[in-house]
Amino acid sequence: MNSPVSPRRPSGPRRGPLLPLVAVSAALALAATACGGGSDSEDGVVELRYSWWGADDRHSTLQQVIDIFEAQNPDIQVVADYTDWGSYWDRLATSTAAGDAPDIMMQEERYLREYGDRGALADLQEFEGVLDLSKVDPLVAESGNLDGQTFGIASGVNAYTVLADPEAFEAAGVEMPDDSTWTWDDYAEIAAQITEASDGEIVGAQSMAYNETGFQIFARQHGENLYNEDGTLGFSEETLTEWFTITQDLLESGGQPGASQSVEIEAGGPDQSVLSTNQGAMAHFWTNQLGGITESSGREIELLRYPGETEHERTGMFFKPAMFYSVSAESEHPEEAARFVDFMLNSNEAAELILSDLGLPANIDVRAQILSSLPPADERSAVFLSEIEGDIVDGNPPPPIGAGQVVEITKRVTDELSFGNLTPQEAAQQFMSEVEAATGDA
Amino acid sequence: MALLQRRPRTDPAPSPAPPAGRAGTGGRGRVRRENLAAYGFLAPWFVGLVFITAGPLLASLYFSFTDYSLIGDHEVVGLANYERMLTDTRLHSALKVTFVYVFVSVPLQLALALALALVLDRGVRGLALYRSVYYLPSLLGGSVAVAILWRQVFGAEGLINQVLGFFGIQGEGWVSHPDYALGTLIVLNVWTFGAPMVIFLAGLRQIPAMYHEAAAVDGAGPVRRFWHITVPMLTPIIFFNLVLQIINAFQTFTQAFIVSGGTGGPSDSTLFYTLYLYQRGFGAFDMGYASAMAWLLLMIIGGFTAVNFLASKFWVFYGD
Repeated sequence: MNSPVSPRRPSGPRRGPLLPLVAVSAALALAATACGGGSDSEDGVVELRYSWWGADDRHSTLQQVIDIFEAQNPDIQVVADYTDWGSYWDRLATSTAAGDAPDIMMQEERYLREYGDRGALADLQEFEGVLDLSKVDPLVAESGNLDGQTFGIASGVNAYTVLADPEAFEAAGVEMPDDSTWTWDDYAEIAAQITEASDGEIVGAQSMAYNETGFQIFARQHGENLYNEDGTLGFSEETLTEWFTITQDLLESGGQPGASQSVEIEAGGPDQSVLSTNQGAMAHFWTNQLGGITESSGREIELLRYPGETEHERTGMFFKPAMFYSVSAESEHPEEAARFVDFMLNSNEAAELILSDLGLPANIDVRAQILSSLPPADERSAVFLSEIEGDIVDGNPPPPIGAGQVVEITKRVTDELSFGNLTPQEAAQQFMSEVEAATGDA
Repeated sequence: MALLQRRPRTDPAPSPAPPAGRAGTGGRGRVRRENLAAYGFLAPWFVGLVFITAGPLLASLYFSFTDYSLIGDHEVVGLANYERMLTDTRLHSALKVTFVYVFVSVPLQLALALALALVLDRGVRGLALYRSVYYLPSLLGGSVAVAILWRQVFGAEGLINQVLGFFGIQGEGWVSHPDYALGTLIVLNVWTFGAPMVIFLAGLRQIPAMYHEAAAVDGAGPVRRFWHITVPMLTPIIFFNLVLQIINAFQTFTQAFIVSGGTGGPSDSTLFYTLYLYQRGFGAFDMGYASAMAWLLLMIIGGFTAVNFLASKFWVFYGD
């Protein structure tokens, strides 16, 4: 390591090794602080990063899909970057802030605006010729559009509804309801009956108040909605009070688990739902969660239409874009990223593996193609979705900026209600003022 | 010294050669070389300080005066973030939760640590083993694994309730009830008494036995000797532990995050200050406000530490 510049000075001051030491430690420390450098091209191979949230089975499935894509596209290498739902958004926010956003990312309705409005996402319409958006189900085709730009394209469709365990009904000696006509009173009554008839062994229904989607359907049944087109609150205090009153009645009648038990159930996610643990008869979930819950419960879980669909002004159920594929505006290889999205969205090979895990495929041709290969539970979701399709009135406007916080507000207000700290009306007022504050500065 | 007297290595640095006249001129040069060596060894720490601590610190001070949202542009908004704190009721409840936690758990933890240190100091057989066993929770207490364990132990069907059930008591879901959830976290912090205990133990060893002997000869009983010899001699250690544990307790995050699933629930009963800060910054894209909150926390901790040091003049006895 003799330097060619300076001559040998055997008797000179021995400052030699020290400066390199400083330099090396500085470099090391810097290397430790700088995170993974981004997409490097080696031998003309472009590296893309694709991030999603989910459970273990999704990670292995999507890795298989990536392998097939790489085999077909030797010039692209896709690095998987996954985590669970809770940490996904923290991580995405931090990496985006650091200018290190994944090239392709899964997005969700409530966060899409947050990123799209701030210029973090690419307009997918710009990739005409690479990314074909023409086969997407019209019910969700424009759900990722904001101000004329397409910031995300739906991976699949979903509906929120009631999942029921026929074996639990049978064990309690209660008949399954006729879901084409059942009202909210029926729902509350059946839930209470099940708990009572089984001496509390089986609880009627998991608390429905922890997810604002249930209320969204309820509001739509009343001719209202969670949000208006302009992002303001689309419902009245009376409607929300009524919704919370149903939950309170269920708490009092024993139709749903007690407050602290509900907190534990909610913390456990779908795998700890009363259906998964065979401790309850009904719970509210998205249709693409039927497969997972069927598996963890070991029972043949059924899908019921939401209560009250024929009771009020109109039906409330809707199709929701399950997730979105989005491309980062900062991606160094947007074209390649768009090619990957096209593969995910439009290829049968990808769909044969993913099946309905990212929602029932949004591409109508692909959907028809894979229907026969769906496992029984997913096939039931597919059939269910096609049955309710005719009764769905319309979609929802995109939620306002800040809608992501409503998840947490809903949980907190529901806790307060369940523990008896708030009356249904107070809960409604608090929910409204907090949601307004969270979404107000949109 | 030995380090510098080694045979000079022959390869000079790939750095600009110094002016010939100043090279190797006796004492001054050696001091400079020694300084340079010191800087060399300090460099990793120094680089870390600048890039990992000071840089982000100053950046957060700047961001606290902006509406920075993590993504996209930001504007300077003056003191708006600080003004918002006055009316943010969740911030107030987070402060309350954190203060309760600090003022209940720290004294309990130190009392337990001191009590066990006194017992161990009497010369128990297998002292090293006990010391390690009691120290273990301090290493584990802040970890994710233990927080998950805690949730299981204090859950509705957890260990605690199984034991209570054995005695015919129907326990609550401790971590999922707003009246008890914070209590379980306080217990968790008290359980990590090992670190202050080891420090107390070392402090007790420093107290000359002759004081105790002399007092015993004069007829002082164990209790009296404890209050009039042990405690005064131990005050510097108590003070040290107090400052350290208060600072630690204010910054508690992991336990609350894991036990409540990141929500601070049920109904905000475990919404620690740092957890709320995290929610604002990373959940709500409200990083400007979160930065301001970080500075408020810094001022609170700084304030408590300052008060602690000022008050120490009146009760800490340094023995000379």
